[in-house]
Amino acid sequence: MAFPLLSLIVFIPAAGAVVLMFLRNDGAVRWTALGVTVLDFLLAIAVLAGFDTTTHEMQFTEMHPWVPALGITYALGVDGISVLFVFLTALFGWICVLASWVAIDRKMKEFMISLLAMQALMLGVFCALDLFLFYVFWEAMLIPMYVIIGVWGGDGRVYAAFKFFLYTLAGSLLFLIGVIVLYIEGGGTFDILALTAQDLPFRVQSWLFFAFLIAFAVKVPMVPVHTWLPDAHVQAPTAGSIILAAVLLKMGAYGFLRFSLPMLPEASVHYSPLMLVLSALAIVYGGLLALAQDDLKKLVAYSSISHMGFVTLGIFALNLRGLEGGILQMFNHGVTTGALFLFVGLIYERTHTRSIAEYGGLMKAAPVYTSFLALFTLSSMALPGTNSFIGELLVLSGGFAANVAVGAVAVLGALLGAAYLLGMYRKVALGPLRLGARSKVYDVNLRELTAILPLAVLVLWVGLYPKPFLGIIDASVNYLLEQVHGGSQ
Amino acid sequence: MSAVALLQSALASLPEIVVVIGACALLILGQIVPQGRGHLLVWGSVAIVLAAALATFMLANEVRPAYAGMFIGDRFAAFFKALFYLATILTFLLSRKYAEIEEIESSEYYVLLLFALSGMMIMASATDLLSIYVGLELMALCTYVLTGFLRWQRRSNEAALKYVILGGAATAIFLYGVSLVYGLTGTTRLDQIAAAAAGNPGDPGLLLAVVFIVAGLAFKVGAVPFHMWLPDVYEGAPTTITAFMSVGPKAAGFAVILRVFLNPLVVASDAWIIIGVVAIVTMALGSFVALVQDNFKRLLAYSSIAHAGFAMLGVVAGGADGIASVMLYLLIYTFMNLGIFSTIIMMRNGTFSGEIIEDYKGFAKLHPGLALLMLIYLFSLAGIPPTAGFFAKFYILVALVERGFVTLAVIAVLLSAVAAYFYIRIVMLIYMREPEGPFHPALTPSVRATLAVTAAGTIGIGLFPAWFLKLAQNSVFGG
Repeated sequence: MAFPLLSLIVFIPAAGAVVLMFLRNDGAVRWTALGVTVLDFLLAIAVLAGFDTTTHEMQFTEMHPWVPALGITYALGVDGISVLFVFLTALFGWICVLASWVAIDRKMKEFMISLLAMQALMLGVFCALDLFLFYVFWEAMLIPMYVIIGVWGGDGRVYAAFKFFLYTLAGSLLFLIGVIVLYIEGGGTFDILALTAQDLPFRVQSWLFFAFLIAFAVKVPMVPVHTWLPDAHVQAPTAGSIILAAVLLKMGAYGFLRFSLPMLPEASVHYSPLMLVLSALAIVYGGLLALAQDDLKKLVAYSSISHMGFVTLGIFALNLRGLEGGILQMFNHGVTTGALFLFVGLIYERTHTRSIAEYGGLMKAAPVYTSFLALFTLSSMALPGTNSFIGELLVLSGGFAANVAVGAVAVLGALLGAAYLLGMYRKVALGPLRLGARSKVYDVNLRELTAILPLAVLVLWVGLYPKPFLGIIDASVNYLLEQVHGGSQ
Repeated sequence: MSAVALLQSALASLPEIVVVIGACALLILGQIVPQGRGHLLVWGSVAIVLAAALATFMLANEVRPAYAGMFIGDRFAAFFKALFYLATILTFLLSRKYAEIEEIESSEYYVLLLFALSGMMIMASATDLLSIYVGLELMALCTYVLTGFLRWQRRSNEAALKYVILGGAATAIFLYGVSLVYGLTGTTRLDQIAAAAAGNPGDPGLLLAVVFIVAGLAFKVGAVPFHMWLPDVYEGAPTTITAFMSVGPKAAGFAVILRVFLNPLVVASDAWIIIGVVAIVTMALGSFVALVQDNFKRLLAYSSIAHAGFAMLGVVAGGADGIASVMLYLLIYTFMNLGIFSTIIMMRNGTFSGEIIEDYKGFAKLHPGLALLMLIYLFSLAGIPPTAGFFAKFYILVALVERGFVTLAVIAVLLSAVAAYFYIRIVMLIYMREPEGPFHPALTPSVRATLAVTAAGTIGIGLFPAWFLKLAQNSVFGG
């Protein structure tokens, strides 16, 4: 039997959470959590290093019967698409721990336990090769996330936590019915690969497509089921916002890639115009809303909706450039928006305000902070040389190939992005010095710099030399396209 | 009946005999146990149940029809009996301290519980409408008395009175249905009724009889529109008895429903439409009305109505998977519902009633471990994985979709999203509010043991459902 590397990655944070339960001292809790997440990250690097980029086959697979009577197995494995997000999740694991080092002022132990539980479940979602297992991970994430937002969030946290919980639950429950229908129609198996190979009648595919759409669209989130996101983001503690932006939002798009496209190819092709329109709508609507925000977190939250519109646009362009761009953009959005939320969190710790109007001239007080903020802001607006440029370029060229009108609207959205992001940066960093409620703002310290640096490296790396990243997903994307277009003919 | 047949019948019903004789012995011994030795009663009762469990276990390998077709000892019955033993033992463990705090210590309390147990066991094994009736009444009479056990509380008396009157009416309706069946078919044995029903399908008289019988049984499981008694009784009864009633008698009611309606021949009729409508309406009412409750026991009463509705969907699905899904659901429900009830019972201490939901504000701050347990039970009741509550619902949905009832499944999950709201609201109060004062949970070793067992069941079945699923599937009757 092969070494169960993926199981290890998934369950190390869970084991860490159990260990934390027995610790009494906040310092020990922090360092243990950091140790666990760093170890997890190293293992994720090991997976990436051992990953064979020439094949679309699942790698590092593990399979054990779990509930044999219903054809449920405990099956893990990664392909080119999921391995990227395993890496991303593991990376943000320790960044979140660092981001919460002093920001969490009460019940540190419980917070770290929730954070680690969250990480285990998120990694499980990306590794699961069994639909039932996937659903268990997917749905169980609600518990720690609900607690993270609801206990450590801002003043409106209870409402935000409820809204997050009920939106996602309602979406997932229809997904559950879809899963069960798929199980019955697909001949009594939950094996994702076996189900992918099934050729379902179009009518069934259509129903399933919409059942899945509701669940995934809530997670992405797509307009018009996005309203939970600003609330959740604004109220969540920094680490919660980072997780939401960097990983949780990717799960909806990942669901499209893993289930909707390969399992329901004909429906995906048939309904792709609808999806393209919804994506374009999200890009423009999210951008317009972001333009009108005064709250830093809300601005980044709405920009997320806009950026995730690019992701779904790329995915449902259903061509090579669109898909590769969409997936790369998922990764980029994770890095960049995760970083932006980290930055908002850092400045909030110092000034206790998120209102853009109260800031100004931060460049003079915190030059390192503002320089990095500039990098991530430019990355978010997809300036050439940064990661998002590559992603958005691919998405747009794929989008134009699929539908010129939608492509044109998306370009408009990209312009909007430049407007609100540059506007935000100008008001916060430039001009005369104004520091919100507090008079003293110190620059980033070493701990914070440690969290920022890898993200900055990724921004430039993907921006200047995207080949390794595209190489990882290439084989899987090609295979996915084959499945979609092979199945629809 | 020859002596051999009688002996064989007695053997098949050995567990019932053990419980009844044990209860009688306890009734006498209870009078001579000195004051302050109440724990002897608890352990004596537990020993009786364990002896019955042993007998059930030894006899479970074989199907034993007994008493000229009125009774059967099969795996289906054994499964339900195991569930009843579990519920009863956990109730015993919870009762000791609670009875002391409420000052209702007496041996009759345990004796009545044992008689109720024997009634439920007869219900699980009965294969004749009359033996079902005997079991039903034995159980019901004991629970009427137990409901009114808080003698000097107006609420408890009121609940008991309501329960007796409405319960009596329900039993009368049930009996009327039975008499109609007898008039039409000339028998009260389930298998013979099924054969007669197959002979002339769609007989309006028989359908009427079915409606009466459904009504009588729906009353026992608290299905709409026969649920009116349930919140009042649950609120008024001693909490330990509420906990017991929400799992034991309810499961017994389902055992009978399964036996009567999932007889392979009856399934051919359209009785499922009645049950399907009742199930959906029950779920909807339970879920929506629970949203506005501020009393914990009332909330759990409505929650138990909603859960009964969900379990009924498994009856609608029918077939081996349908039956097994209901059985597994009831088993899992026993763990999680007794779990949440034991936390309420534990909170009853001194002047603290533990019944008002708002009283739990900030509980997590002072008792993180107990709060975590409550969180697990509540998320399980809401059906969120990886808890057992999710698997219970999942399996029922699988059974439903397998039979093509996709619309019912969709309605069911949407209603369970509504239900999730009020469970999560309690979690919110526990975790996200500030406490107003200290809590003094009455944590005795036996309460701890109950919490441990229920938590282990709630998480364990959730993570490793395979064995329990197999057990339920192997225990389906007729297969």
